[in-house]
Amino acid sequence: MSDENENRDMLICRCEEVTLGEILDAIDEGFVTVKDVKRATRAGMGLCQGRSCSRTIARIISERTGKSLEEVLPKSYRYPVRPEKMGAALSREGEDESNN
Amino acid sequence: MNRITDHPILGPLEEAEMVDIIVDGQVMQARKGEMIAAALMANGKNTFRKTVKREEPRGIYCGIGRCTDCVMTVNGIPNVRTCVTEVEEGMVIQTQIGSGEWQ
Amino acid sequence: MKRLKRDIVVIGSGPAGLCAAIEAARSGAAVLLVDENAKIGGQLFKQIHKFFGSADHRAGVRGIDIGEQLLRQAEELAVEVWLNCEACGIFDEKTVWMVRDKEHSVAVEAQRIIIATGAVENSINFPGWTLPGVMGAGAAQTMINIHRVLPGHRVLMVGSGNVGVIVSYQLLQAGATVAAIVEAAPNLGGYGVHTAKVRRAGVPFYTSHTVKEARGNGHVERAVLVKLDSQWNQVPGSEFEVEVDTICIATGLTPAVELAFGSGCRPFNSPPLGGLVPVHDRMMKSSIDSIYIAGDVSGVEEASTAMEEGRIAGLSAAHSLGTITDQMFAERLEQLQHNVDALRSGMFGQKRREAKDAIVRSYGVER
Ligand SMILES: Cc1cc2nc3c(=O)[nH]c(=O)nc-3n(C[C@H](O)[C@H](O)[C@H](O)COP(=O)(O)OP(=O)(O)OC[C@H]3O[C@@H](n4cnc5c(N)ncnc54)[C@H](O)[C@@H]3O)c2cc1C
Ligand code: FES
Ligand code: FES
Repeated sequence: MSDENENRDMLICRCEEVTLGEILDAIDEGFVTVKDVKRATRAGMGLCQGRSCSRTIARIISERTGKSLEEVLPKSYRYPVRPEKMGAALSREGEDESNN
Repeated sequence: MNRITDHPILGPLEEAEMVDIIVDGQVMQARKGEMIAAALMANGKNTFRKTVKREEPRGIYCGIGRCTDCVMTVNGIPNVRTCVTEVEEGMVIQTQIGSGEWQ
Repeated sequence: MKRLKRDIVVIGSGPAGLCAAIEAARSGAAVLLVDENAKIGGQLFKQIHKFFGSADHRAGVRGIDIGEQLLRQAEELAVEVWLNCEACGIFDEKTVWMVRDKEHSVAVEAQRIIIATGAVENSINFPGWTLPGVMGAGAAQTMINIHRVLPGHRVLMVGSGNVGVIVSYQLLQAGATVAAIVEAAPNLGGYGVHTAKVRRAGVPFYTSHTVKEARGNGHVERAVLVKLDSQWNQVPGSEFEVEVDTICIATGLTPAVELAFGSGCRPFNSPPLGGLVPVHDRMMKSSIDSIYIAGDVSGVEEASTAMEEGRIAGLSAAHSLGTITDQMFAERLEQLQHNVDALRSGMFGQKRREAKDAIVRSYGVER
């Protein structure tokens, strides 16, 4: 990645518009997993659900703290895996159980 | 027009039925069955929305429905991923400002 | 929610998923193949160039034609196909929750699940990378080869691996100008044939360079390139601008593992194959008995290996359901494994083979 100080204003999370500077500050304050950084900055909470930014954030944390990627990435994935309207899951509930 | 009408391997672009779509109040022609994003880019429109905080323009990024950067308000419904949604005759498409509003 | 039952559900209809479905159906299993796209084939139908790989593996045939052949086979075998169908989760190691046509939820209980979800493109960040006009190389490829729309007229390609050079060549075929290809490493990354074609067309390559910034008012108008020293640091004062309206990012792929890990498959870190992948054995079975994996999701390689892995997964899954005899299974498996080993030879292949072996070894150790 290009120079850190110069690029503090650069976006990392496209959806929530969280900058590199905000993420570095969060890491320095002790938020050192992808989940923690998300809580601190909202990075990863956007419409794409972190699909575009989580891996970048993991890499930034890992570079800054020396922790391995496995340590900083989420331990479990939360469904749905796609930016689907959750409504779709619920709206049709019970529509058809047996006649198919 | 940015349509690739002749291609050394894929050959000439097949004729297609055209439909009218209304983009920010303006009528545009689209090929039936193509994705909204493709129709807009064919017509020279590359900015699909403005972001919430910085009000920055955005266009397509992943092209396959993953990044949600191409979302627009379509027939009154915000956050529709235009790169994976087909055009329909008479579809009303609007540049989405911020997180958009149901209309 | 609708609930249905099937022998085998294959998720993803790229070369891996298609071949898995065909092999499993041929082995006598009732197969349902699902894909989120409106068309079958995954990456295959974007690949209008001739394939690399050995002659056995249809080198010299275009991806789109291989796709057509596989499609016909799947039809003849009456593989059930659901398009516009996203698999959103796997529960209890057996039930696949999917959303059809973006609105109808369906749950399918499968005795075996084959995950063939492919890979996603990596991104790199630089000021201006969110401007319209900056996009994944895959997005540009989809636009030109599937939708037949030019995303821009003067393109900068970032990354000189196979994807970077192949998409550059396809952009030229589509009528765009490729202003330059930048590569951060000191050496070019793609296979010689593809690189040579682009070079012959007069496209300049800049090794040990990267994009420092994208500039433009509301859209990309220029890219600032900068030289990198041997420590990958930018060399101050070496910046220069190229006029482009599009910047394509081709900096590698990462396996699309969410479904696999979400369902509980054990991960293994394999940097040469793109990062964390689900552990699997030589039969392409994951750490969960009912779940098999194949193709780029099990480690990023090529369409040819994805096809063989798909066949192995389809065969093994069907065999585990008792649809073929042990002997038939053993014979066919040996043949398929021989094919896949042959593909993993040579300078590039050897490295991938070692990386795959490490995954398989870890499967044995920890189970
Ligand atoms: C530009 C480019 C050029 C290439 N050129 C070559 C080449 O010349 N020769 C070669 O051998 N290889 C080439 N490759 C590599 C090759 O395309 C891949 O290795 C191969 O496509 C992998 O096959 P796959 O089936 O694993 O994945 P894919 O082809 O990516 O297919 C995966 C499918 O699964 C779908 N999917 C994913 N998640 C879900 C879900 N949750 N629900 C439903 N569907 C889902 C995806 O949309 C996709 O359709 C190239 C790749 C690229 C990007
Ligand atoms: S890019 Fe961060 S949530 Fe979408
Ligand atoms: S461009 Fe990424 S979702 Fe449409």
